[in-house]
Amino acid sequence: MLVNSALPARFFACMWLLHSASGMSAIKEHVDPETGLSSWKSGADALEFELLQVLPDYVRAVYTARGLPKAVVDKVSGYCVFGTIIHNRTDRPLSYRVADWRYITPDGVPHRIRTKSEWVSEWRDMDIAFRWSMLPDDQTFEVGDWGQGFTTIALEPGSRFTLEYSWTQDGKIETRTIKGVRCAPAEAPEV
Amino acid sequence: MSKQLVLFVAMLLVLAGLHVRADTEESALGYHFAPVTPLIAAPDFTLEDMDGEHYVLHDYRGKVVLVNFWATWCPPCRKEMPALEALYRKLGGDSFTVLAVNQWEDPDHVFAYTGELNVFPTFPILFDPESKISAEYGVKGLPTSFLIDTKGRLAYRAVGGRAFDHPEVERLIRALLAEP
Repeated sequence: MLVNSALPARFFACMWLLHSASGMSAIKEHVDPETGLSSWKSGADALEFELLQVLPDYVRAVYTARGLPKAVVDKVSGYCVFGTIIHNRTDRPLSYRVADWRYITPDGVPHRIRTKSEWVSEWRDMDIAFRWSMLPDDQTFEVGDWGQGFTTIALEPGSRFTLEYSWTQDGKIETRTIKGVRCAPAEAPEV
Repeated sequence: MSKQLVLFVAMLLVLAGLHVRADTEESALGYHFAPVTPLIAAPDFTLEDMDGEHYVLHDYRGKVVLVNFWATWCPPCRKEMPALEALYRKLGGDSFTVLAVNQWEDPDHVFAYTGELNVFPTFPILFDPESKISAEYGVKGLPTSFLIDTKGRLAYRAVGGRAFDHPEVERLIRALLAEP
């Protein structure tokens, strides 16, 4: 029925567009009018990804409240910290590994993100068992699963970079890029 | 017209094939629990509550138990707490209970926190001060919840906050209770 009409071409064009759209997953930046802080969130995608700027003072407050020593508080708050929220928005499991993600500085150099295990290992050497604030190194999210935690980038406040994150589903690796991500400023923006 | 209809239906099928749900509201807690396969015995534990009373998991054999790993600083843990309490008030008793296992916090701090909640939790809150029990359960992030069947096996797992008062959660629990 479709052979002698323009329909097949239009159909496959639509399919291509839809698949392309799912692959691009437009990232939207949002500025919180109350705090002046930015966040970046993926559109409809298998792995919904959100990155939120976190002020160094907030990081200090979080770790001080947990009773961690000043040396630990100073070190973590010296990183560019983001709250990271990840949802599995599909009906099948998917997995991510922070070790596979990269941040790319303006000189074009890709860098590894310091993982939760690396922090916990350092804290364990100081006899500190706390391990809950950081985004887990890797997780498999079943249907409806989601998680959150801090992601730490070794950059100064206000630094700009590109983030590449990825996940695996059905044996296939999916990668997304967020350009123009900025670390939180050293101090709360005036709003 | 019929061609347009065929095209429209085809597009719907493609969209359905993408398996990406349109609902991306972060505020909405889901209700899905994933089956744990194969069924394995839930790691046993003995933990204290705020009053120093001991709770032993295997004492609950014959009941369905919802074990919830949480902490006060975790926003989704706070958000799901009223629904957890609603579930406990509705089903808690001879055949079902909730054990909320706090991670790495002291009882005084947690007691003050529960006083700040809109709904005071009446289910047992237990303390896992060095996160040893959560490690045995393979918990990587908070909150994470497990449904343990009447034979003491891990039946379902949910990572992230959940609307525990959703009818589907109640249905799962009743189905576990109905198992021979």
